[in-house]
Amino acid sequence: MKPKLFRSTTVSRHLYAGLAGLLAAASLAVVTAWADDTNVIDPRADVLLHRMSDYLAQAPYFSVKAEIWQDVQLGSGQRVQAGRTVELQLRRPDRLHAEVRSTRRNRAMYYDGKTFSIFNRAENFYGSADIPGTIDDALDTASEKYGMTMPLEDFLVSDPYKSAVQGLTSGTLLGSVTVLDVPCQHLAFSRGNIDWQLWIEDGPRPVPRKFVITYKDEDGSPQFTAIFSHWDFDTKLPDFVFDFQPPAGASKIDITEVKARNQQTQKEAK
Amino acid sequence: MKLNIFNPGLPLTIAIGAVVLIAALPLAAAPPSGGGGGSRGGGGGGGGFAPRSTPVTVDRVDHGSLRHADTQVVARPIAVQPRPVEQPREQPRPVEDHRVTEAPRADDHHEVARRPEPGPARFGFDGRPSMIVHRDVEADWARPNFWHGFAFHARVHALPVGCFSLVVGGFPYYYYDGVYYQQADNDYQEVYPPVGAAVPELPDGAIEIDMGDQAYFYAGGAFYIQQDDSGYVLVAPPMGIMVPELPPGATQVSVDGGLAYQFNGIFYRPVFADGVTQFVVFTP
Repeated sequence: MKPKLFRSTTVSRHLYAGLAGLLAAASLAVVTAWADDTNVIDPRADVLLHRMSDYLAQAPYFSVKAEIWQDVQLGSGQRVQAGRTVELQLRRPDRLHAEVRSTRRNRAMYYDGKTFSIFNRAENFYGSADIPGTIDDALDTASEKYGMTMPLEDFLVSDPYKSAVQGLTSGTLLGSVTVLDVPCQHLAFSRGNIDWQLWIEDGPRPVPRKFVITYKDEDGSPQFTAIFSHWDFDTKLPDFVFDFQPPAGASKIDITEVKARNQQTQKEAK
Repeated sequence: MKLNIFNPGLPLTIAIGAVVLIAALPLAAAPPSGGGGGSRGGGGGGGGFAPRSTPVTVDRVDHGSLRHADTQVVARPIAVQPRPVEQPREQPRPVEDHRVTEAPRADDHHEVARRPEPGPARFGFDGRPSMIVHRDVEADWARPNFWHGFAFHARVHALPVGCFSLVVGGFPYYYYDGVYYQQADNDYQEVYPPVGAAVPELPDGAIEIDMGDQAYFYAGGAFYIQQDDSGYVLVAPPMGIMVPELPPGATQVSVDGGLAYQFNGIFYRPVFADGVTQFVVFTP
């Protein structure tokens, strides 16, 4: 007589089949999880990103200059790069000054904890908006309410790490490289519609030296590139750096809200 | 033990196995939770593995921001390649050849030399260094179109090749690529774009501005709308429409103590929109 455990009954066969199915499914789950293992941040990349973010977040004030290049598509369809420089001065928690310059354009943005001002130096126009709060508040309101997104704002907010890791699907440490002769660690990150890369300076001052965003969901996957220089964490930044005083002859004009012009779009027709 | 495939219980076995497998599939397909070993530093922030649903036609490269990459997107300008030069349709009469081909005089500072040269593409610019309008890019390519050289009442001795005549409100005009002329003695002078003018195609560099359900095409201080027969007619601009640049030769005026510009009886008020200066049409 066979032991009951091995009794070959219809029910037990069905049970074995069920267990086999469950086993197969479990195996599939393991394989899938292994395949999705790329959907995490390499701990080394995470540490470096966190270190850089903490360094910037804990700095009470700093200045930095960045050269920005971004892809633009000509009317002919040819893709070229447009350049500009951005000079940033920041004092936490509520002071910010930015100068954005290119060959012909020249504009400044000031934030003093109460008022956000934008100044078009080329045409001598300025506008102001009340945004009481912190640098984070000013950047969010400027972007969401007025459509003015500050380049490199990710490095200016109070918690750069938090916004950097939002939605990430992968993060990789690609190794040591130099950016303008400065030894750096090259990191690459990805999220749904964006790939971005960061080069962080080696050594005791882990500041970003280069930053690239690739917009994967746009035609031709255009890139935004910023190369940082002149990091200065020593020079104190008094109030007057952030106080906007309209020069003589400057005209005040309105800053329109995004919602007020949603009914209009512009594009080159020909 | 041999498997008896004719066993009457086999279908039931397969069915149970399949049910279990199907029930377990979502488990397999689910993304790893928590980052698989804490490498995400505990942040998580609500996962975020799902791809963000954003419109495909966006233009955010000028933002340079991860934080607001999808906050404020701008409709991507669509490049429309210049159409081949068409002969004027039967309605516009060609200007006399001797006028068109006559050499400009030495004192004619609006000579044809400022016209864009037709011909094969040069440096990929099609002979026109125009670029897709990107409102918040500090791009510094000059994009002079023919009408950028407009100056009210500037005189030319010869009309551009390809110019054609038209009648608007009973008055004769000549038109070429966004610029209107009227005869003045033995010369022609540039005049403001007349409302009601019908042209077969848009001036080069015209910018489409969609306002409500109507598409306007803006070039050289003129607003065109498309007609059913595929031509375009010049119309008065709607109040509140925003343009990226002033017409050439717009004069600065003061309206109620505020700065404004005037061109052809149309008033423009400068504003900051998306961080750059644009101009809103208004009535004083």
